[in-house]
Amino acid sequence: MSQALAHIVDDDEAIRDALTWLLRTRNVAARTWASAEEFLAGWQPDFHGCIVLDIRMKEMSGLECFDVLLERNNSMPVIFLTGHGDVPMAVSTLKKGAFDFLEKPFDDNALVDVVIRAMETDARKQASQETQATVAGRLAQLTPREQEVMQLVLAGKFNKVIADELNISMRTVEVHRSRVFEKMGVRSAVELAQLLAPGRD
Amino acid sequence: MILNPLPESAAPSPPPSWYWSLPYVAVALFVATMAALLWLTHRQDSEEQRATLINDVLWMEQNLSFQFERNSELLAQLGPSLLKTAALSPTTEARVRQALDAESGLVRLLWLKEDGSVRGAQPPYTDSHLVGEAGGTFPSSAAYRLSRAMGRPSYSDAYSVIDNQTQFEVHVPVFEGGHYLGSVVGVYSLNNLLSRQVPWWFSERYRVSVTNNLGVEIAAKSKVSPLSSLTYEMALDPPGHGLSLTVTAYKSEVRWISLLLMGSLGVLAAAIVWSLWQLRRHMLRRQAAEHALRAEHAFRKAMEDSLNTGMRARDLKGRITYVNPAFCRMVGWSADELVGLVPPMPYWAPEALEHTLTVHNMVLGGQAPVQGIEIRLMRRDGERFDALLIEAPLIDSDGKHIGWMGSMVDVTEQKRAQELARQQQERLQATARLVTMGEMASTLAHELNQPLAAISSYNTGCLNMIEHGQLSQPELTGVLEKIGKQAQRAGQIIRRIHAFVRRSEPKCEPVDLNLILREAVGLVEPDAQRRGVQIQIDLEEPLPTVAADPVMIEQVAINLIRNGMDAMAEVPREHCALTLSTRLQDGMVVLSVADRGKGIPPEVAEKLFAPFFTTKAEGMGMGLNICRSIAELHRGRLSFEANPGGGTIFNFSLPTLSS
Repeated sequence: MSQALAHIVDDDEAIRDALTWLLRTRNVAARTWASAEEFLAGWQPDFHGCIVLDIRMKEMSGLECFDVLLERNNSMPVIFLTGHGDVPMAVSTLKKGAFDFLEKPFDDNALVDVVIRAMETDARKQASQETQATVAGRLAQLTPREQEVMQLVLAGKFNKVIADELNISMRTVEVHRSRVFEKMGVRSAVELAQLLAPGRD
Repeated sequence: MILNPLPESAAPSPPPSWYWSLPYVAVALFVATMAALLWLTHRQDSEEQRATLINDVLWMEQNLSFQFERNSELLAQLGPSLLKTAALSPTTEARVRQALDAESGLVRLLWLKEDGSVRGAQPPYTDSHLVGEAGGTFPSSAAYRLSRAMGRPSYSDAYSVIDNQTQFEVHVPVFEGGHYLGSVVGVYSLNNLLSRQVPWWFSERYRVSVTNNLGVEIAAKSKVSPLSSLTYEMALDPPGHGLSLTVTAYKSEVRWISLLLMGSLGVLAAAIVWSLWQLRRHMLRRQAAEHALRAEHAFRKAMEDSLNTGMRARDLKGRITYVNPAFCRMVGWSADELVGLVPPMPYWAPEALEHTLTVHNMVLGGQAPVQGIEIRLMRRDGERFDALLIEAPLIDSDGKHIGWMGSMVDVTEQKRAQELARQQQERLQATARLVTMGEMASTLAHELNQPLAAISSYNTGCLNMIEHGQLSQPELTGVLEKIGKQAQRAGQIIRRIHAFVRRSEPKCEPVDLNLILREAVGLVEPDAQRRGVQIQIDLEEPLPTVAADPVMIEQVAINLIRNGMDAMAEVPREHCALTLSTRLQDGMVVLSVADRGKGIPPEVAEKLFAPFFTTKAEGMGMGLNICRSIAELHRGRLSFEANPGGGTIFNFSLPTLSS
């Protein structure tokens, strides 16, 4: 997994340099790209952090670049910078999922704050995605019978009732139940329910 | 020429079909009556002729009968002396000769004995003259016996003798003392009888002939056959025996007077019919011409009424003689009210009276421009409108010039549309300029924003580091250098803009401000007329020339004039006056534009020359700003002051070339 970075895309070298310097003073690691094309060429699906995108650039504009990123299912938050933003443009980009829209000249530390917030959001999303991947892996280890038993346990039914419904003995239910707990890495039915709750929606 | 309405008999009822046949019927009746009259006259004539004929014939017959009687009596007297004595006494002989006188018609006398044999004759008896059947029967024994038996004269049958003569006899028995002595026979020659007994006047008028019982003509007076059919036949008795007397009138008398009358009547009737026919043809032609005229008139009228162009005719003195409906609609007065009026017309707009009168006099003087002339007119309700007037001389049928015909087109809408189009064009250009300016401003902002943003970011970064106390001097030096570089970059951008702006510096040449001002007035004149602004010009002449860019100066003049007019937008028209003046003052040529508007309030006066400041809804706020820039480019000045009479005076001054 690559390091979380603030990807600065701007065709003006001074801006890139100044922003890198600014972010460094707030302990945010940054990587600069001299154009949208360059960034899209170097983009990897496992990039993390956020993107600071200037709208007005010589070749491909920031908006076009954003559209391409949307197509590629980019997960990083995108912060737009513009010298002459107008409200309709801001609204349309935010609707499409941009993280924020800042107009030059901006308060530099405010920009850094937005960048940090975006990176945190990205990190949280990353973590949640990881948990979901773990749960899915554990669920895959369960046998069909164990899954049946787990569903009934999650429904809050007692072992006796489960045994009756599945036409098996109480003893067998207890064995399955302990196996499910073991495989899912939980100690109680409550923990199991908590682990599976976010994945349910 | 002008289409005056035709007289009211516009739709004459076509004459009924019997109308034209009436004269013919009359003529036919006349002719028939004349013919009847003539026929009646003729008939009466014939009747009369026939009556005369009968009378004559009766007379003739009477005459013959009388002659026969006389002869018979004479023969009866002669009888005893002829029969009783053997030799004839001289007296008797003389009486016999007398009896044989040509007048009596007798050609021979015979005296017969008691037994019927011939005793004597005078002239001496022969029968050699007898022909055909008549031979041997002379004298007629039948007549002898009959006369002896009846004791009175009796006539024999007629018989032919030589020389194509016809004779007959009369036997007169002679008695003495009741004792029959014999008979005296008188031989008549029918031919002689006719020739002697028919008088000359009778034979002149009639042909007299005698026919026997077979209808064969045996004797006739005159051999000429008559032409007339008027004839009368009656029995010739005595002598009887089927003889009949036929009297035929010669050709009846020609009655010239009636013929002449008839002929002249005929000729007269023919003349009447002919003249009627001619009259009818003439009338028909006239009717056709009238019909064509009416059709033409209706056509012209429809054409004229459908016109949207107002037409107005005037005589040589300018009096209106005719207007068409479109003209009436245009001005709002009716034709009855307009015709006969003399200038000034009620539809002349009072404010343009002078101009209209000039045009009017020009037209009457025959100097109206061919392409037409525009004048401002007024409707009845006071609404003004612009009309394009085209005049042409009105020539009557004798080729005499009797007035002027003018057509008038309402061009108000057209002018309004033109004005609107012009305004839209102006607005479009202004918008285009604005868009360009906006684009430039945007580019400029972006260009300048870049170094400024960078500087700001470096600066913030530095502050952050100072806050955290981790700033090292080399690092700070590097950043400050970078900040300096960015500041220089910003400065360069600004210099570039300045260089760009300097490209529009004036191209100076010596110019006459008055000339430029006049041109500018010419350009805004239509607009001023439309707004009802009177432009008064008060120029000082001659003015020294100034070194200036004429296009720019004209721009300033137009701008100031437009501003002045805008300032008076709400001022009543009669007070809308803009005064333009030039003068030389302190070595500067000054152009003053004085309006009579509301003046400039102090809070506006402060910002008056600031860019993008405007008091107009559609203004850009650049006009006065540009004007002042131009003034400064020319080392001149633009200032304003309150107009003592209300409103504002803008003064635009330029240094003279010599100063």
